[in-house]
Amino acid sequence: MSNKYKVLLVEDEQNIRTLVSTMLDTNGYQAIVAETCSAAKLMYDSYMPDLVILDLGLPDADGIQIIHHIRKDALTPIIVLSARTGEQDKVRALDLGANDYVTKPFGSAELLARVRAALRSNRHSSDEGRFPGGCFVLGKLVINYDARRVFLNDDEIKLTQTEYNILAFLSEHQGKMMTYSTIIKTIWGDTADDGSIKKLQVNMDNIRKKFGVKPGDATYIKNELGVGYRMDL
Amino acid sequence: MKRTVRDILITAGILITAFLISIAFQNVFRVDEHISTLFAFAVFLISMLTQGYVYGIVSAFIGTLAINYAFTFPYFAFNFTIPVNLISALVMVTIALLTGALTTKVKYQEAIKAESEKERMRANLLRAVSHDIRTPLTTIYGSAATLLESKDDLSETQKETILKGIKEDSDWLVRMVENLLSVTRIDSGKVKIIKTPTVAEELIDSVLVKFKKRYPDQNVLVTLPEELLIVPMDALLIEQVLVNLLENAVMHADGFDRLSLCVSHRDEYAVFEVQDNGCGIPAEKLPKLFETYFEPDNNVADGKKRNAGIGLAVCAAIIRAHDGEICAENSSEGGAVFRFMLHTSGEQP
Repeated sequence: MSNKYKVLLVEDEQNIRTLVSTMLDTNGYQAIVAETCSAAKLMYDSYMPDLVILDLGLPDADGIQIIHHIRKDALTPIIVLSARTGEQDKVRALDLGANDYVTKPFGSAELLARVRAALRSNRHSSDEGRFPGGCFVLGKLVINYDARRVFLNDDEIKLTQTEYNILAFLSEHQGKMMTYSTIIKTIWGDTADDGSIKKLQVNMDNIRKKFGVKPGDATYIKNELGVGYRMDL
Repeated sequence: MKRTVRDILITAGILITAFLISIAFQNVFRVDEHISTLFAFAVFLISMLTQGYVYGIVSAFIGTLAINYAFTFPYFAFNFTIPVNLISALVMVTIALLTGALTTKVKYQEAIKAESEKERMRANLLRAVSHDIRTPLTTIYGSAATLLESKDDLSETQKETILKGIKEDSDWLVRMVENLLSVTRIDSGKVKIIKTPTVAEELIDSVLVKFKKRYPDQNVLVTLPEELLIVPMDALLIEQVLVNLLENAVMHADGFDRLSLCVSHRDEYAVFEVQDNGCGIPAEKLPKLFETYFEPDNNVADGKKRNAGIGLAVCAAIIRAHDGEICAENSSEGGAVFRFMLHTSGEQP
């Protein structure tokens, strides 16, 4: 019991709450639920969960407040549940530090995959990170951070400086959706305008070509239209 | 602004024409009597063709002055003591006012008519959609109730069949709601859709990921241009169009075994084509293919095909909102081709 991951679920819809907490319980997580923003903060402080699943539309306050509250002093992964139409909300939540989002309606497989990825990424960045000699391995993709070399299916892939930087950045945040503006700020130090987004798009296109990915089964780098990219299996 | 310039040009043009004809009358036929009639006609035309009352009234005064100055004795001098001239001035101003009032009223009524047409379309859509939504809801509601009430009497296979039914119908509802959301996204307010530069390959990637979630066994042949193609669009809406078109092929192209999605770059346009080699589109359906859903009385009995209409209607609405073009035709090799084109340049045309 005690070594289960604790997941705080913040959701005001009774049915979704029951559904998600059942999903979590039957898959070996301990679900803690909160219905309101204030209850969520209280629960977070007293239980210190390993992961938070958060619906942004809460009755008493904007769910964004909870992201602020958590990100003040912790890197606890946050997965946002969102409606389809709110890309702006998604981007805002991600830029404020949410790790990922799941669009409603979602299936159990999808949500659980995101939960696993988010928990994994949290472990990864705290354990291995950028240690000297650190190697990043994801499926058949290997990144050697020291030598700045990338291998896919045992073949080396020659990337330019910028392409490598983008890839390494995404790999350091494996499982986390990185927005355009976050990537651009990290790689070029620019703000995200049309010009810099185009620069990013061109580089991503080159990376995809070098990886030889076909649209529809893009492994390793997932693209989310209008939002950003995520490294994942 | 454009409108004002146009109206001023119309006014000036008609007045100058009337003036020249009057001079011709006077010099060639030596008659003055019809000149006020001619100017009255000019004022009438101007009031009809321009917006509001101003142009008509101004031209009525100019006409009066012109007649007074040039065409009544003493020629080419003002004389305001002639009662006939005052009467023609009154007549012209009245004509200007009445015509202006009439045309304004007509224009207003046209606007109302267009609005009510839109309203009618919306009502039809709503009626059709509510009707269509009820069917899967009945299944879901009934199935859930059955499972709750008599779960002990059902065999595992029966339960699984019922649960699959629930999932299938919820999937259908999800798609319907996505389409409706897209429609409201276009319709909401007078706001134009916001286009962002989108990489065609990423768009297609996203479309195929979505499509394969629903139809894991359906293979799609993809052709993309070699170079990086960036198209300004509302990516979520265009994604919806492509998913709808692919699904449309799966649902309606009976007997197809090849489904392809092709993106190419022609001049100033990005061309997207979804092609199958199935049964094709019946010729009588082709002309109204994209609007059937908005027509009343299209009670489709075949439950499997009910999502058809709204899907294509939404596609057309989205492409229209992008100032693009969409069309459907039967390919010479058999099967149907759906094609749409978007501008590759310019944020907002």
